[in-house]
Amino acid sequence: MAVLGIPILDGLYPVTMDMWPVQAKEFNRIWPFYENLKQGRFTTTKCKDCGHVAYPPRVICPACYSENLEWIDLPTKGKVIVFSEEVKGVPLGFESPLIHAVIDLGVEPVRRLLSRIVNCPAGALKRGDEVQLSVFKVPDMPMEKGKAGTVMVERVFFAFEPVKK
Amino acid sequence: MARKAVILAGGQCKWGVREAHLVDLFQEAAKACLDDIPTLKPKDIDGLIVATSYAGRCSFQVNTAPVIAERCGLKPTSICTRCDTLCAGGSTGIILAKGLVEAGAADIVMVAGGEKLYTPQKWEVFYSELASVDHVWEGAQGLGLPPPFFALTAQEHMMHYGTKKEHLAAVSVANYNYAADNPVAQMQKRLTLEEAMNAPVVVPPLTLYDCCPITDGAAACIITTDEIARKFTDRPLVYIRGTAQVCLNSVSANFPGEHLADWKHTRIAAQIAYERAKVTPNDIKVAQTHDCFSISEVIEVEELGFCKKGEGGEFCYSKQIEIGGKVPINTDGGLLAVGHPFGATGIRQAIEIMKQLQGRARHQVKDADIGLTHNLSGANAEHTILIYGREPVK
Repeated sequence: MAVLGIPILDGLYPVTMDMWPVQAKEFNRIWPFYENLKQGRFTTTKCKDCGHVAYPPRVICPACYSENLEWIDLPTKGKVIVFSEEVKGVPLGFESPLIHAVIDLGVEPVRRLLSRIVNCPAGALKRGDEVQLSVFKVPDMPMEKGKAGTVMVERVFFAFEPVKK
Repeated sequence: MARKAVILAGGQCKWGVREAHLVDLFQEAAKACLDDIPTLKPKDIDGLIVATSYAGRCSFQVNTAPVIAERCGLKPTSICTRCDTLCAGGSTGIILAKGLVEAGAADIVMVAGGEKLYTPQKWEVFYSELASVDHVWEGAQGLGLPPPFFALTAQEHMMHYGTKKEHLAAVSVANYNYAADNPVAQMQKRLTLEEAMNAPVVVPPLTLYDCCPITDGAAACIITTDEIARKFTDRPLVYIRGTAQVCLNSVSANFPGEHLADWKHTRIAAQIAYERAKVTPNDIKVAQTHDCFSISEVIEVEELGFCKKGEGGEFCYSKQIEIGGKVPINTDGGLLAVGHPFGATGIRQAIEIMKQLQGRARHQVKDADIGLTHNLSGANAEHTILIYGREPVK
């Protein structure tokens, strides 16, 4: 695939232009978050020393700086507190309507999680509506891996969607 | 005697959609700055702090400071660096320069900020904005340019405090009208409440004039000590009395307030800055607050203590932010009308406060002796406040 104006980049993958997170364990120590997502689980890290639950997940406890962390499940259903709908001027890579909501998953630290709402037509969402985790595939990331050459790393990401009544 | 930091001079280039490279804009701003103080020459400047966030992304240039120093004919010997706090970059540079000159680690520092955001293909401008928020957790949720985030903020302010669209529109009207005669502003036109109320929708409840534009531009100012400043100018000195920069969260889930219209981090920053400056909100005669959106200014007048929490809409609608009001705000046009090249904005604000305190502003506030600048950065992730005065803190 030709890159207009920059022939030197023909067929290359520039990670600096990638809108999705790098998820391979070779490049990211919180890779289990994405592995868990693939199983429909929304997870984060909890400190086994002081009990602090952090979101987003980390490699150290932000409260006591322990590295002794475990993965725990967060709720996958919540309620819409407030939402916005962008119909025109949606950024490249996202579809109209682009809906954002502050949702309450019922437990700290995700009482006010900002998320995109997918699978929802414009004008259909209401405050107080129940929403659930929606995990979707995003494009594979090409990664150089020694003698194996370039391998494709499968990736997912998440949003929330209305619960069908 | 203790060294006391002052802002000696400043200038900005024409802001807008500019037919220029990033380093061109910085040169224009450096010239505008020294044109403001003809007795000061480039060789007198021993430090440079550059504030730019998108140089790496939009101009493929990191380590910006040596590039700007060379192109502007500066040969720094005390400090030559760049800082990036997005919308607060310029203010951050001034805080750092204050510390350096007061500590005696530098004498005369130029703080220069700028961005070249428009690229030859427009899609890249919007796409690159996915870097402005916490990229992994919120950029990937389609949060780039911030209208959706501030639309949520406006809705929560309306829900909790009964704020109306007219209140937001009044901010846009005031700030556009301040900029109508500002030759370096991106938007130079008068605006009526009716026009603001009937503007095209961006993200409800925000419409066109509620949102600041995307801007190319640069600005520069000189920070030095009062003793050195007196060698170069007879103008009244403008001291940097107190500063604060508060960051309590990055991801919105960790937002410190009860809701998105409750800006606890602004209140903390204000309290610290007022204490350090030894003033109270009632002492502030003029302010430049971060009106990236009309709703931002409504909330800022509350959290900065100019009115009670929840009454910001009425405060702005009743013209308290205009000349003759309780605290005239964004008297050069603010982000809404002058524009918002992130790293340059805090410097633009500082220059306007300097001119107000020296009695030479375009829309002069009578007897202005204490002024304040405020920035928020990113998806409301950081608050930066500086308080300036005609007298130093005693």
